[in-house]
Amino acid sequence: MGDYREVQAGSKPLKRSYIAVMLWFVGRAIQAAARVDKAVREEFEQLPEGFSFALGVEPHGPYMIVGKNQKGRVKYLGWKIEDKHIDLKLKIKNIEAAVLLFTFQESTTVASARDRLIVDGEVPHACAAVRILDIVEVYLLPKLIARLAVKRYPIWSFRRKYIGRTRIYFRSLLGY
Amino acid sequence: MFLPDNYEFLCPVKTNSGNRALEHLPFELEALSARKPLIVTDKTVTGQGVIRKMINAFKDSGVTIGIFDSMPDVPDMQLVTELSNIYRNGEHDAIVALGCGSIVDVAKVVNIAASYSVKILRDLAGDNLIAHPLSPFVVVPTLAGTGYETSKFAFIENLTFSSYFLMPDLVVVDARMVRSESVETTVATAMVALAHAAEAYTGPAKNPLADSYAYAAIQYVKDNLMNVLKKPRDTDGRLALANAASMAGCAFSNMQPGLLHILGEAINAMFHIASGICMGILLPYGLEYTIQKNGYHTHDVLLPLSGFDEYAGTADNLKAEKAVNIMYEMQQDLYTVTGGKIPRTLEEAKIPKYMVNDIAEKVFKNGAKEFGIDDYRMVLEHAWEGKPMSWD
Repeated sequence: MGDYREVQAGSKPLKRSYIAVMLWFVGRAIQAAARVDKAVREEFEQLPEGFSFALGVEPHGPYMIVGKNQKGRVKYLGWKIEDKHIDLKLKIKNIEAAVLLFTFQESTTVASARDRLIVDGEVPHACAAVRILDIVEVYLLPKLIARLAVKRYPIWSFRRKYIGRTRIYFRSLLGY
Repeated sequence: MFLPDNYEFLCPVKTNSGNRALEHLPFELEALSARKPLIVTDKTVTGQGVIRKMINAFKDSGVTIGIFDSMPDVPDMQLVTELSNIYRNGEHDAIVALGCGSIVDVAKVVNIAASYSVKILRDLAGDNLIAHPLSPFVVVPTLAGTGYETSKFAFIENLTFSSYFLMPDLVVVDARMVRSESVETTVATAMVALAHAAEAYTGPAKNPLADSYAYAAIQYVKDNLMNVLKKPRDTDGRLALANAASMAGCAFSNMQPGLLHILGEAINAMFHIASGICMGILLPYGLEYTIQKNGYHTHDVLLPLSGFDEYAGTADNLKAEKAVNIMYEMQQDLYTVTGGKIPRTLEEAKIPKYMVNDIAEKVFKNGAKEFGIDDYRMVLEHAWEGKPMSWD
């Protein structure tokens, strides 16, 4: 028995903090993009009333939750999933996989194809959520990085790309 | 395309392979309803720093893990009893074998003991005597292995347990876990995979599902073994070899042991030469023997060995011979690249000529009667001399 020991797994506070900040900002950016960008607005319109989805890291988070209320208004709903009804969960299997995703070494689609990101919920809704995330990433990131993070980098008008980006950053920081 | 009149194939093993694959382990265990795994390994593996990577993989999961890292070279039932006590007293609910070979064997038997009782363990040795699924069982190979980890077998002392419930729920092949290995171990692992895959691909139980595993295993070994030997830090190559071992193990689990396996294990037991090295020596001779029995299937093995161009450019009646020649060339290349560390013949492996007959007789007497004693003797004699059978 002398060669047996129990080890309490530790934590990775720096990586968790980084992912938490990224998720917080992406959540608020989705809320902003739903007001600013027509394509994001239309994606949300196709989703059921009261629909909410979460993107986060298993098993203990952090998460970001975005939901659509009865009036169709899209809101960032925070990072605690415990007390909320979530229709769709996009679960990243572990913090290292989340770091790959949020340092843009791997796109959402590739992470899913490589089984690092899994879905709890309906696949059409998950596809809509991934399309929304792709659009938001194009807004938030410079082209050089966004090309790594999205399935295909889109060709947008100057107005949509740069004015939209400014408005989304501004709204995300202020939270409306 | 060959389709047998009837066949069965079972591989319930989930494989998680790749860069940082180990980090998925807490998630996968959770999916298996396991919250407190017992990790079984040995000091060699621990010494390579692998255990630290394993502990790091559990960070942020909130899981407590138990670690037993003193697996002896020759484990016995006393160790199984001790480990099953640790498992019960520590309230563990899953077993993770970190390593290969006897580590996996012991972990499998401990899993039986945890579900049944140590007292009746010996009664469960044999074929299909385990009646129900066991606790979640995960294998994290470190390339020092044979691909047996995915198999339905467990060997300890003189007992052989055989049940599909012994196949692991999950095999995690992580690039970081398979890095630092000796030349001999790397070759032995690859040659076991190649031998098992070639036997599955050309043997009497050949079927399309086993073929897909065997084909990929043969191709991965052929494409990566030399690169890994020349560049030991070729992580992708090592990952491919570990995958090959795992896939060959799955194919092997669905077959009766072939001539290469039987003779390789027998020589290993008698002379303590790694079974992979033995199978590597015997491989071309075993294939030549198979041509006589089953030429059509043997010529198929040229495709994963040589690639499409060479396969298409070779006449059908020459394909089997060409496949065998590639095996001979591979043997010679291994000998050259390793500076003579990997023997090409049984003579170079320092097996006395007079023992060839003893090996054949012992194998036959021990119950491996799938082949005749003359068949064993013929293959062994040619492999001792290094003389292709086609020269006869």
